[in-house]
Amino acid sequence: MCGIAALFAYGSAAAPVDAAEIESITEWMRPRGPDAGGTWISPDARVALGSRRLAIIDLSDEGTQPMTDVDGELRIVFNGEIYNYRELRARLQRLGARFHSTTDTEVLLQLYRHDGAAMVELLRGMFSFAIWDPRERRMFVARDPYGIKPLYIADDGETFRAASTVKALLAGGRISREHDPAGVAGFWLMGSVPEPHTIFKSIRAVEAGTSFFVNERGVESARRYYSIAGILGRGVHDEAAARLVQPNVLLRELVTDSLRHHLIADVPVGAFLSSGIDSSALVSLATEAVNEPPRTVTLRFEEFAGAAFDEAPLAERFAREIGSDHVTRLVTRDEFMADMPKLFDAMDQPTIDGTNTWFVSKAAAERGLKVAISGLGGDELFGSYPSFAALPRIVSAARLPFAASVAARIGRSPKAKAAAQYGATWEGAYLLKRGLFLPDDLPSLMGVEAAREGLEQLGILKHIAGTIDPDPGTPFGRVAALEASLYMRNQLLRDTDWASMAHSLEVRTPLVDATLLRQIAPLLMVEKSRCKQHFAESPPTQLPDWLSKRRKTGFSVPLAEWMQLPPDGTSTRMRSWARRVMEQWA
Amino acid sequence: MRILHIGTDSFGGYGGIALYNRELIAAMASHPEVDEVVVIPRIIVGECEPLPKKVTFVSAAARGRLAFLRAVRGAGSGFDLVVCAHVNLLPVARLVTKHPLLMLYGIEAWKPLRDPISNRLLRGVRGVISISDITRERFTGWSHYDGPSQLLPNSIRAEWYGIRPKNLALAARYKLEGKRVLMTLGRVVAAERYKGFDEVLEVLPHLDADVSYIIAGGGNDVPRLQRKAINLGVADRVIFTGLFPEEEKADLYNLADVYVMPSRGEGFGFVFLEALACGVPVIASRLDGGCEAVLGGQLGQLVDPTNPAEIRLAIIDALASAKRIPEGLAYFSYENFERRTHAIIDGLA
Repeated sequence: MCGIAALFAYGSAAAPVDAAEIESITEWMRPRGPDAGGTWISPDARVALGSRRLAIIDLSDEGTQPMTDVDGELRIVFNGEIYNYRELRARLQRLGARFHSTTDTEVLLQLYRHDGAAMVELLRGMFSFAIWDPRERRMFVARDPYGIKPLYIADDGETFRAASTVKALLAGGRISREHDPAGVAGFWLMGSVPEPHTIFKSIRAVEAGTSFFVNERGVESARRYYSIAGILGRGVHDEAAARLVQPNVLLRELVTDSLRHHLIADVPVGAFLSSGIDSSALVSLATEAVNEPPRTVTLRFEEFAGAAFDEAPLAERFAREIGSDHVTRLVTRDEFMADMPKLFDAMDQPTIDGTNTWFVSKAAAERGLKVAISGLGGDELFGSYPSFAALPRIVSAARLPFAASVAARIGRSPKAKAAAQYGATWEGAYLLKRGLFLPDDLPSLMGVEAAREGLEQLGILKHIAGTIDPDPGTPFGRVAALEASLYMRNQLLRDTDWASMAHSLEVRTPLVDATLLRQIAPLLMVEKSRCKQHFAESPPTQLPDWLSKRRKTGFSVPLAEWMQLPPDGTSTRMRSWARRVMEQWA
Repeated sequence: MRILHIGTDSFGGYGGIALYNRELIAAMASHPEVDEVVVIPRIIVGECEPLPKKVTFVSAAARGRLAFLRAVRGAGSGFDLVVCAHVNLLPVARLVTKHPLLMLYGIEAWKPLRDPISNRLLRGVRGVISISDITRERFTGWSHYDGPSQLLPNSIRAEWYGIRPKNLALAARYKLEGKRVLMTLGRVVAAERYKGFDEVLEVLPHLDADVSYIIAGGGNDVPRLQRKAINLGVADRVIFTGLFPEEEKADLYNLADVYVMPSRGEGFGFVFLEALACGVPVIASRLDGGCEAVLGGQLGQLVDPTNPAEIRLAIIDALASAKRIPEGLAYFSYENFERRTHAIIDGLA
């Protein structure tokens, strides 16, 4: 886990890369990688690479980046973890490759040499990287299938720039800070900026599951090598494979395999523990996998004491039962107010979420952990969000005759009144369900002209529809693809990245794993939302009823109380919080 | 010591389970403390192979269901060990013992049994012998069986195979002269769409044009796969042999440059041992018993059958490999199988 940066002055009119720029970009990311750092500039000053390193695998100096291969030719900067690097390394050694370290980073270099761009399809992990290939005079850039690790780029037609964060790119001092109306509109609509847009016009996100080359003619078209919708759609046709094994046994097998890979580290690995099925089952399976429970952390808020969504008492009870070394960390309003400037400083793009991860990461780091396992992704995978039931209902209802007039007459909220306008398509229904504001609200939030421009450029419905193309084939598959490709990617994963890295903590997500999804897609398409219960039954000692039968609650923080947010038509007052957040980008 | 073996098929049987049982019966009979092995088969489809010494084969049992039941009941109770050689036969084994030794092979044991009586009878078994660890894990996962269990993987008589020159007549029959050949062998039936035929077909268009693919075996799914090959534009590169005579098998393996079976439903994958015994590089699945047939990757490559890129690159690597019979194949020699079988009998005694 690191922060990386790359510059490539590919155009004939481009100025040589600037050492001060790569230094500034890299230095901005110091919290992401406090253990080591370095930059490299090519002899002809056309390429610069920079890295900050959080050492987790091969703690020696051999893991320092930018790294070169044994021949001193290829160079790489890499952010993330390749969990199957040992298998890949064994294969490459069989094929004659030589290594100077035991890092996953070097495996990427040799894999590129052997398999070229197809290498990304062999990787199990979370990653973004750039490899400079001097022989071909091109840079290979890639990002992981789910978009766990971020990568942002700026291309002015002469020089290509890339970095792990938006703010780091800006810190280089060469990129305009002009807002992108599409990114701003996306934030108001969804509560986070939908990739590939960012809040700034000159910066784009590298899309999850894509790779591309930059050569002396510029940035080539990206190749999509992984599609969540496509994988789920294929699962429909593999019913025979899904029915071979008892569902809870298959889940145990495949999730444990994912966990074993995610537990690979040369430092201790802890876990976030809530009172839900996902984190509890993961902790239970991890305990079995390594014969020892991981150190666990839960947050507690006085404002939630006695409420159904106070996770601390049940998490403590479960931790006692499995014997984990557990800490419940109290977070108060005073601490939040004291942390708020740092939190906004670390927030890479506007988002209404991330405060929860900020504090649980802080608590884990206080325990001396460098790596923590999280149950993030379980709701998207096993279909346990309310949206899995709600979206098909919205779509069906909105397609009924007279739906528009009925909704306009009896709808109590703006969203209910808009149900007929948007609800007849999956993308529209998703916007209704997940949207923070609706398009009609935007002129009052960002101005009439900016709203018009932003909505036009963003094309939110087309954008959402793109995440279910190809069609996963079933309502469950569509909602799973929508949630994983939008809410989880643009909000949960992105917020987890900046909020954890601010505390130099690597969060690993065994349930957000492209290999796991491919392997269990057939089962998901057959068992649908029953998979959550199967998952609860997957640990060798099944989760107790008081935990597995408990009504689902979110991982929330009492922001409304702490910030005394005014009523805004939502129970969480997230619209009011969004306004506060956006003030930071004014 | 007298042993009763109650099984679906063995001598005069066809397929993997029959072969495994023939080896098992022979290995049990060769134990010095064993005086007799009485074998009661449910099915005989062909001519019986020569019986090992000390084996009494009740061929009349295969005349029908009633005959089978009568034979089991008539076998009496004077046995020191009753081997129930298929989980579906547990109610039949119950006619002679409450505590049989149960054999597990693969998918038949990966889910709860349809028959609730059999599920109940599992509690009484004396022990479980599984062909692979994955089958044992999947079985114990749903049954919560926590009694004694042992692994007894397939054996291979490598001397029956060997690296041979390509059979030119066979190559001509299938128009494979000058081609590099991939092969998968198995039943091609709709109910078993987890063998990996589809996965290999799908990567074929992304391999060099001189690479052809033999699907060796017959079944009701052949027409679908033929249509798929046409749709993928590789119909001229795919050979469907249909059912083939057993004596052609070694020559078929020797036609292949790579044996690839990215499956999800193999309990073990004896075909990998056969291919290896012919010196053919093999590609097996990480997600089923094939992984154990190649000793976790020591004897061949492992791939995730759900990852087409991994399959394609493994095929490219394997096509560049020379044919050789790996030394590690000796792990599955009949001598080792016999030794393991004797150790199991000793353990039970």
